[in-house]
Amino acid sequence: MRKNIVLAEHLTISLVVLFIMLGIVFLSFSLVQNILTNPHKYFDIELSLTETQFLIVYVSLVVISVLVSYIIYLLLTLRTRMELAVLSATKSLNFSLEQFKKLYEGAPVPYLILNKKGEINESNKAALRFFGVVEEEIKGQNFFAYQPKEDLDKAEKLFQYYKSDIPINNEEIRMITKSGSVRWALISVFEMRSHKDPTHRGLATIFDITEQKKLDQAKTEFVSLASHQLRTPVATVKWYMDMLLSGNLGELSAKQEDYIKRVHGVNEEMVGLIDTLLNVSRIKIGSIEIDSKQTNVSKLVESVLTELSPQIEEKGIIIDKQYGNNLENIKSDPKLLRIVIQNLLSNAVKYTPKGGSVTIILKDSFIEKAIVVSDTGIGIPEKEQEKVFTKMFRADNVRGLSEGQGTGLGLYLVKSIIEAMGGSIQFVSKENKGSTFIIKL
Amino acid sequence: MSDENKKKILIVDDDENLRMVLRDKLSIEGFEVLEAENGKEGLKKAFEIQPDIVLLDIMMPVMDGWEMLGKLKKDERGKKIKVMMLTVIEDTGSIARLMQDGGSGYVIKTEQSMDSIVDKVKGMLK
Repeated sequence: MRKNIVLAEHLTISLVVLFIMLGIVFLSFSLVQNILTNPHKYFDIELSLTETQFLIVYVSLVVISVLVSYIIYLLLTLRTRMELAVLSATKSLNFSLEQFKKLYEGAPVPYLILNKKGEINESNKAALRFFGVVEEEIKGQNFFAYQPKEDLDKAEKLFQYYKSDIPINNEEIRMITKSGSVRWALISVFEMRSHKDPTHRGLATIFDITEQKKLDQAKTEFVSLASHQLRTPVATVKWYMDMLLSGNLGELSAKQEDYIKRVHGVNEEMVGLIDTLLNVSRIKIGSIEIDSKQTNVSKLVESVLTELSPQIEEKGIIIDKQYGNNLENIKSDPKLLRIVIQNLLSNAVKYTPKGGSVTIILKDSFIEKAIVVSDTGIGIPEKEQEKVFTKMFRADNVRGLSEGQGTGLGLYLVKSIIEAMGGSIQFVSKENKGSTFIIKL
Repeated sequence: MSDENKKKILIVDDDENLRMVLRDKLSIEGFEVLEAENGKEGLKKAFEIQPDIVLLDIMMPVMDGWEMLGKLKKDERGKKIKVMMLTVIEDTGSIARLMQDGGSGYVIKTEQSMDSIVDKVKGMLK
């Protein structure tokens, strides 16, 4: 091995230098002794040195010869020492390389190295497993051509990104394997260039999300099925009650009509409850989709107020609108935002006694966009305030109220929606004074 | 109104209760009402009877509403028949798809009263 040769060479040189040093020490010693015992032979002077002076001269000579030998040693071993240092550095470098190679090869994530044309140069085991191929089958193939037809446009777009050095970060795309099965993947491609090798290369990673996709799909299907199964019976009841109430089947007595109206009303509540439950489960299982578009918040508020007008009029509640610049044109999901506003306003109306007031403030400033709903209602007891946004929350002070019927899901839903949309909700409340909910969009 | 002049409505829904209440209401309103309990039967009847309007449920066994709508609109015998979808799920994706597939309107079962359905049907026949 190269290292042993260099090491042997190094030791030889060191030994030689050691001998040289001993030789110098020995020679200088005998020379000094010679001079001291017989100075006339060399100089014309008389030297009379004490024992101590002799010792000093002698020690100086030894020190000088050691120093000279060390310098000789350093000079002679310069090459071998350098070579040894390089060898040891190479060894640790090789070790890290090996570590990285192992990580790359054995990582559970598919890695591929692409050339500038997007062709696969190298791939690790996970990548071969992902595509169900052996290395020869995949080498030289374009990475951006492994998509099913539906995703070819997207693949082409990503390929353009790649060619223009734009990093690709967690793009969701389908990929097709050798067996023809389609897998969902999150792909990322990063540029790899070094000063030594300036050719454009990319390191691609594939994150297989097929299972998550399947699960999401199953959850969405479940909610959709549940929604169908739960809504069909209430729709049936609704239509039968409609028929009876319309008088098409003959006149009803006052009592009969009253009964049917009550059933009809309860059924309507059931429709509302099912909607809320389904909205909650959609959010809970993460299948809520935010469909952002131009949204007119003041219009949404107005439509909710119209819906609530029977209760508002019945209780004589004063609605104080402070719309400011109206939040007429913001980017949001109007359907979801309506659920939020509907919940907040109906709570405010429900829990405000006769003659109270509800204030609606819409704030649209450079700093923040906010919806504030404030009431002079019964408030939320302080010790229960921390539970307000939890599922099935019902405050103690509403249990006795005739209109205290609620699912306990409303505020939970509101918070979930607002947070899914990237906003926040806060509230302040004092029992028997009122509550204020602040939504920042 | 003689039977000949009566407008024909075909209700395609797997839920017998819903079919019955719709049939009763529409009959009272003067329509001739026919029923089918899935898309396959509905398609056959639609071709035979040539109804003025098909009230079509979406989720049904054997053949669902989407499939029946597609087949009806692709066929010469069904192209001109108006279709109103009956759905319990309000989702904008479905509504967009309905219009694209050639549907003429939709009813969200839990939201519309019987009278408003009759109004919609009459509106579509004008």
